[in-house]
Amino acid sequence: MNNTDILVIVSLLPLSALMLVLQVNPYHALVIRGILGAVAALVYAVLGAADVALTEALVGTMLSITLYAVAVRSSLVMRLGVVTEGETLSEEEMPEGFGQLLSELRTALKKYHVRLELVCYVNEEALEQALQDHEVHGTCLPSEIKEYQIITRIERLYEIFQADTTFPVSRWEDVVAKKLTQQAELSLNP
Amino acid sequence: MNLMLLAMLLALLIPMYEAWQDDNIWQKMLAFASIATKTSILILVVSVLRDDWMIGVVGVLILSLGNASLMLLAQIIKRLNQI
Amino acid sequence: MVDIISYFCFGLGIVFWFWGTVPLVGDRSVLFKLHSLSVADTLGSMSIVVGLLLKIPNEWPLLILALISLAIWNTILGYVLAYCSSSRE
Repeated sequence: MNNTDILVIVSLLPLSALMLVLQVNPYHALVIRGILGAVAALVYAVLGAADVALTEALVGTMLSITLYAVAVRSSLVMRLGVVTEGETLSEEEMPEGFGQLLSELRTALKKYHVRLELVCYVNEEALEQALQDHEVHGTCLPSEIKEYQIITRIERLYEIFQADTTFPVSRWEDVVAKKLTQQAELSLNP
Repeated sequence: MNLMLLAMLLALLIPMYEAWQDDNIWQKMLAFASIATKTSILILVVSVLRDDWMIGVVGVLILSLGNASLMLLAQIIKRLNQI
Repeated sequence: MVDIISYFCFGLGIVFWFWGTVPLVGDRSVLFKLHSLSVADTLGSMSIVVGLLLKIPNEWPLLILALISLAIWNTILGYVLAYCSSSRE
């Protein structure tokens, strides 16, 4: 156990840290964080700090990675509200255009490592209420131009879908404003 | 003994390279499993070289803990693609 | 004599390590890599621990514990990883 060995072992730490920093995908970064934790525990043990090594393995590797995996999984998700008859929607019951819409949305979101989650509602009123209450990030409704249109409250999602999908996308604020002017016109001209 | 330590470090570098260059998450997990075992065995070797019980105990604990964290992570990643 | 056997165990363990780890680099399936990793890597690690046990016998409870946890955990880990990576919806 001479100086060269210690130097080689310690230089593994910046190497794995560089790997972690250069990683773009959050899930891959979590796995690399595990590798960094294992290497860090080795370095601490070699330098004689057994307690720090044990803490790194217990807290730094096991606990923080598990918690982060759960957190990343539940936050990197887009909830899309749809109107269905039943409680859930199975792949076989989906209409043709809807399946295409879903696959387009998934490809657009995959670039940003975001998952798509469907939330089912019984009618359009419940769907609009859910969008208003921030329960879902966007809704999918039948439209005249193409089979479906998407309404979203989030500006970034609007930009992503506008750029990467063929289906019409609109902002929630615009939809609400349009509806209000329509109502005003109706009340002016009874 | 010194040469052996360097050879073990070389064996440790192979899975690190693999984790860096492969894009499949399961391949990365395999590399992580390999690294977790190898580092804890290295800790054990160092503890025996220095005749230090304390580091040895930590090495054995890390050996079984690293695997446990791997299994937890594998179960979470498996559920990623399911809605 | 014991020294020679322990160095032989170390050498065997390192050879097994390389044998198990080198297939990790390459375009094979996850299950193929997992097989080589779980068999050769675990055997190599156990061989190294046996070498350590022969070299310094007075730490035997610790090293026996390491042997047992290696044998049990790595086997279970192999099963869990294979189950998780192959069951895709």
